[in-house]
Amino acid sequence: MLSRIADSLFWLSRYMERAEDTARILDVNYHMLLEESDRFYRLRWDPLLVMAGEEARFRTLYDEANAHTVFEFLAFRQDNPNSILQCIAKARENARTIRDRLSREMWEDINGLYHAVNEFDTRRELAAGPHRFCDLVKFGAHRFHGVTDATVPHDEGWQFLRIGCHLERAEMTARLVDVQYQYLFENPQLAGQADNHQWMAVLKSVGAYEAYRRKYYAQIEPQHVADMLILHPLHPRSIRFSITEVQSGLRALSNTLPGSYSNEAERQTGKVLEALRYDRIEEIFQRGLHAYLSDLLGSSLCIGEQIARTYFYYKASA
Amino acid sequence: MPASGQKTPSLFANYDLGGFFDEMFEAPGVPRPHYAKLFQTLASLDPKQFVERRKIADLSFLLQGITFTVYSDGAGAERLFPFDLIPRIIPHVEWQRVERGLAQRVVALNHFLQDIYGAQRILADKRIPRSLVYSCKHFYREMVGLSVPRGIYSHISGIDLIRDSKSGEYLVLEDNVRTPSGVSYVLENRLIMTRTLPEAFEAYGVLPVNHYPTELCRILRSLSPRGGGQAEAVLLTPGIYNSAYFEHSFLAQQMGIELVEGRDLIVDDTVVYMKTIHGLRRVDVIYRRVDDDFLDALVFRSDSLMGVPGLMGAYRAGNVALANAVGNGVADDKAVYAYVPDFIRYYLGEEPILGSVPTYLCSRGSDLSYVLDHLPELVVKAVGESGGYGMLIGPASDKATIAQFRERVLADPRNYIAQPLIGLSRVPSYDSTLERVGGRHVDLRPYCLYDGENVTVVPGGLTRVALREGSVVVNSSQGGGSKDTWVLREEV
Repeated sequence: MLSRIADSLFWLSRYMERAEDTARILDVNYHMLLEESDRFYRLRWDPLLVMAGEEARFRTLYDEANAHTVFEFLAFRQDNPNSILQCIAKARENARTIRDRLSREMWEDINGLYHAVNEFDTRRELAAGPHRFCDLVKFGAHRFHGVTDATVPHDEGWQFLRIGCHLERAEMTARLVDVQYQYLFENPQLAGQADNHQWMAVLKSVGAYEAYRRKYYAQIEPQHVADMLILHPLHPRSIRFSITEVQSGLRALSNTLPGSYSNEAERQTGKVLEALRYDRIEEIFQRGLHAYLSDLLGSSLCIGEQIARTYFYYKASA
Repeated sequence: MPASGQKTPSLFANYDLGGFFDEMFEAPGVPRPHYAKLFQTLASLDPKQFVERRKIADLSFLLQGITFTVYSDGAGAERLFPFDLIPRIIPHVEWQRVERGLAQRVVALNHFLQDIYGAQRILADKRIPRSLVYSCKHFYREMVGLSVPRGIYSHISGIDLIRDSKSGEYLVLEDNVRTPSGVSYVLENRLIMTRTLPEAFEAYGVLPVNHYPTELCRILRSLSPRGGGQAEAVLLTPGIYNSAYFEHSFLAQQMGIELVEGRDLIVDDTVVYMKTIHGLRRVDVIYRRVDDDFLDALVFRSDSLMGVPGLMGAYRAGNVALANAVGNGVADDKAVYAYVPDFIRYYLGEEPILGSVPTYLCSRGSDLSYVLDHLPELVVKAVGESGGYGMLIGPASDKATIAQFRERVLADPRNYIAQPLIGLSRVPSYDSTLERVGGRHVDLRPYCLYDGENVTVVPGGLTRVALREGSVVVNSSQGGGSKDTWVLREEV
């Protein structure tokens, strides 16, 4: 497989995941914040921007973070390179450069989603709220995964799609937990009943709410939520699960056996994963959740870089 | 004939033959035998239903991204290449003659290229002026004496045909033996046609077209300079901003070969490799959709980023095959066109099966004075251009334009040829402005594959149609669309 194609598959999948994650965070938090009392209203739009990693850019474009501006910024703005529309446009652009490697169904699906989100009348949607739009994106992404898994061989190309998606997902979940927890930590007066909502929203934005309920019943404890989202071995949006997928993908590419590694990307992934497998949530909290998640994000960045070095880049001459 | 007692007006209400050769009707309301059943099907269709079907077809094209990009407003709007739902039908026997004529022409053109870049017998025998050949924009000295794999230059040709608007006779309008495009539309049009108007097929046996990628792939792999059945073929594209990018990716996918850009390839010690995730991998055959001038910055245009530095060295060393060969433009030059019937006689000892359009070469003194005296009646074309660029259609131009073009011809006579305006035949097509069917002018580009022994022609080809009423310009940039083209399996 051409390096350029592997690169495009990786990013196609990352952008698709980024669009979905942003839609999830936006949808859940938007509706939760509407239920909140006015006192916190303005205050709490900021974490959404931090989760998306776009707070600084937002400040250059808007004076105030509110329901309207945050929605517009995260969903539609052309000058936000990580807005949902831009992510889908970039996913499609990547797909277009390699459409001969995609199944016809995959391409038609991505292309259809692109046209569908671009047909949205921004002003009308801003008035109606983000649910309809976010739902379309969320299910568009699900359909993309379904169509992909069902229509292309699970060969090297598929592994790059898998790796891209799960690396992005791990980072998104890490940021989500980090931001939410820091916020609670900095505002201890918010602890207690009211924050149940906040943590419920966290669970909902990664689609883990029902699973949590089944495991822990009624009580929504920040520590349990963190446990579920960071260390759960089987929940498809936990960090551990995502990094396991990254590792499986990398091993499939290089035919490396468990317990060893054949490149720097695999070594880094293995290291991170060992910690995720054997750490306990209590230990993580003792060491400090924020520091732990920051390290994790750093490692994830490093893994991405090493994947590019191993598989995508070539020197200018042979 | 129109069904009597219809309540809603038929799609064909007020259909006017307009004095042109109409491929569907031999007289007002009287379809030719091979169109009779299609006419019945269409005439019995509620116009509303027909419009509904058109929308479905358009949506399929949009979803598949079969669009071309127009960069007029800076944003790069994506437009559909309009598809007309009424197919064009060619009877079996009629097609057989066209097919033989095309095969003959393709073989003769290949002989000419072999000769001109080899022994140059035809020049020694003075059957075409040496100066004319050497002054062709696309004659490449770099190719002289270079032996190409299996002696094939024009693996893929698109020969443009028109039908005379009076007699209906098939005539060759021009040859395209560089990198002809459009074949993907032939395949996609057929697919969408069978989905949207399946009932139209019921009464007919239509020859399939979808073996094209298989045949092309077979030919490409047969060119491999490496022995032992090893043949890594790739398709080289200029990239996603090229207007034919859809076709490049489509063909690569259909053939199961890698779609590469220049930056994916590298030449080391006259061998071409592609950069894969597991290191460099040798490339044997390149179906290149990048023009000659941009192929190798070391030999041709040094500012090209689309090609592969060193590629010509690998080609010359015989380590890689290119399809089509470099320098083919000398054979589809519009002045050389006038000599192709002679090539057929000279190389094959046969009379041309297909007629061509009378052509005046402005480089000849007598022709030039005739052309200058008759500009308002003639079509004047720049010889090295394609795609409808650098053209004057005399009867459709005002005095100022003609005067301007006259200066250009005088300044560089070798660069121009002129032909009488041959009216194009018409085929009924849906006009969305008038909301009914009208006669619209068409041409035809069949696609021919040559493996060194046999020529395979895709039955039919791409019918382009000038959708605007009265227009004769079939180019997509100027309101042109396309039609599915049926060659019938047997006589009706």
